[in-house]
Amino acid sequence: MADASAPTILLVEDNEINRDMLVRRLTRAGHHVICAGDGEEALAKMHAQMPALVLLDMNLPVKDGWTTCREARANEHIQHIKIIALTAHAMDTDREAALAMGCDDYATKPIDFPSLLGKIAECLPE
Amino acid sequence: MKLRRRAFSLRARLYLFSGAILTLFAINVATHVWGSFARSESLIAYRDTVTASQLITDLAQSLEANRQQVLVLDTLRETTEQPLGDEERSSAFEELDAISQRLRRLGGLGGEGTEDYYRRLHESALRLLDDWRKFYDSYNQKEISIDSESGVSYNDTLQRLRELDQRQEFLAVQRSNAIDRTISITDRITVIGFVTTIAVTVFLVIALIRSTNASLLRLKTGAQRFGSGDLTHRIDARQDAGEIGDLARTFNDMSSKLQRAIDEVRSAKADADAANAAKSMFLANVSHELRTPLNAIIGYSEMLQDEMSDANPIDRDQFHHDLGTIIFSGRQLLSLINDILDLSKIETGKMQVGYETFNPASLVLQVCDSLSPLLVQRNNHLELNVDVDSVGDISSDRSKLQQIVTNLFSNACKFTENGTITVSTLRVDAAIHITVADTGIGMTEEQQEKVFEAFVQAEADTGTLYGGTGLGLAIVRDFCAMLGGDISLNSELGSGSTFEVKIPVAPTSDRASA
Repeated sequence: MADASAPTILLVEDNEINRDMLVRRLTRAGHHVICAGDGEEALAKMHAQMPALVLLDMNLPVKDGWTTCREARANEHIQHIKIIALTAHAMDTDREAALAMGCDDYATKPIDFPSLLGKIAECLPE
Repeated sequence: MKLRRRAFSLRARLYLFSGAILTLFAINVATHVWGSFARSESLIAYRDTVTASQLITDLAQSLEANRQQVLVLDTLRETTEQPLGDEERSSAFEELDAISQRLRRLGGLGGEGTEDYYRRLHESALRLLDDWRKFYDSYNQKEISIDSESGVSYNDTLQRLRELDQRQEFLAVQRSNAIDRTISITDRITVIGFVTTIAVTVFLVIALIRSTNASLLRLKTGAQRFGSGDLTHRIDARQDAGEIGDLARTFNDMSSKLQRAIDEVRSAKADADAANAAKSMFLANVSHELRTPLNAIIGYSEMLQDEMSDANPIDRDQFHHDLGTIIFSGRQLLSLINDILDLSKIETGKMQVGYETFNPASLVLQVCDSLSPLLVQRNNHLELNVDVDSVGDISSDRSKLQQIVTNLFSNACKFTENGTITVSTLRVDAAIHITVADTGIGMTEEQQEKVFEAFVQAEADTGTLYGGTGLGLAIVRDFCAMLGGDISLNSELGSGSTFEVKIPVAPTSDRASA
């Protein structure tokens, strides 16, 4: 299913159920997905595997999504990596805060999967 | 050292002012009366002197006339031998009586330092009058001669009369001078008194106006500052006693009361704002918490739908497991909704406490038994220190105590792995102590402070890592309070947590009557 040449997507999500669900659905949609459970791990994998896109949950243990995003944007090695914020906070202010923090896009839980695929397609190079 | 000016009330000031004016007025009147009195005294004395002078002249004339008459009669007596008629004699005696009467009047007028002169005059005049009486008495008796002696007394009397006259003249000059002096002194005193009165009155009026004006100005300034919202300002009431001071203090009191009222309103508004913010935060949290299980439910359902509709064969085991996940998330959503409803009921005061008699130790055993699957999940071991008999029955709300124990037990299972969970019950006096201890991850002091608040888990991630709504301990705390008890927590990061619940064995009086 997953195309070997497809760009890598890093999914950062601490909730096992949601992580499992998204990994499976994205893989089914033809994406190459790797996972991280917290912000530290996410930064480490961004450095190590240089994914094309990060789907970043904002409520993370060890280092939350906001901090992770800020640190990624401040680091010249990984600052080019696209980031789509995922959060169950559905207020407009959260969306603005995420975009202001340097996220390229924003998706609310429960995830509207077709819409998420659209956003991913926009972020990934052809 | 600073001298403090004594404060006078407005009334006292007015009284003092009126008193001072009246005193000055009285002094003026008294000066005037004294001046008039002194003047009339001097005038009376002067008039006496003038009267005395006239009397002396009269006396001198009368004496002269009588002397002439006596000399004429004496010559007649020697030459004519004609006797003196009774009528003539009595007329002469009357004349003598008139003279002695005038003499007495002269004595009555007196005068300073004239007593000696008058006494001498009186003696010599009496002698002369005696001589003349004898002359008239013995006029018809030829053998008695009288003339020579009478001449001596006459001259003597006249001499005395002249001396008295000189004395009276001297007195008259003296008294006239005294009158001049008195008039000039009283006039001066009156003028000085009058001018002083005017000056003091003007000074007092100015002082009264200035002091009253200053007091009123302080009041006005203070009232204006209060009016412009400066309620910390205080009017200086120390400089004013009485009404104005009272007014200033009343203003100050009013200001502090206003300040207090405003503070109360402000703090009430802050409380209301905080409550409002808490409510918004609660709503945002509820929204967040509901979305997390919904994400799984919708996500898995859509995924299963996709898998059903494509051509690939279905992995039945995977399919079954995924359905289980949907059910699990649905249940979590339900329990979340129930918890939210419970909390909302507690907050609005609609949660009822239903008392019944039951054995809490048996309840604890039942809960532990029914939750034993949770124990197995993370390979935990349960230790029970529960003795049904020694604890005995209590009167409380069974379902609430059941939820308290359930929440604490499932929390302990959730945050402990390969450890021991110890549940104990103990009766201490009129309370039952239920302790749930674990050897799990524990909490920092900072986390312990917030752990009983709604939607707070030790870390933002704890809910997703360990499940749960973040409402369980908030409900436990509120239920404990409703049952008249309390909950305490003892924990150390990395070595586990111990929750101890204390519930009274019977409803406390105020709770029972409520």
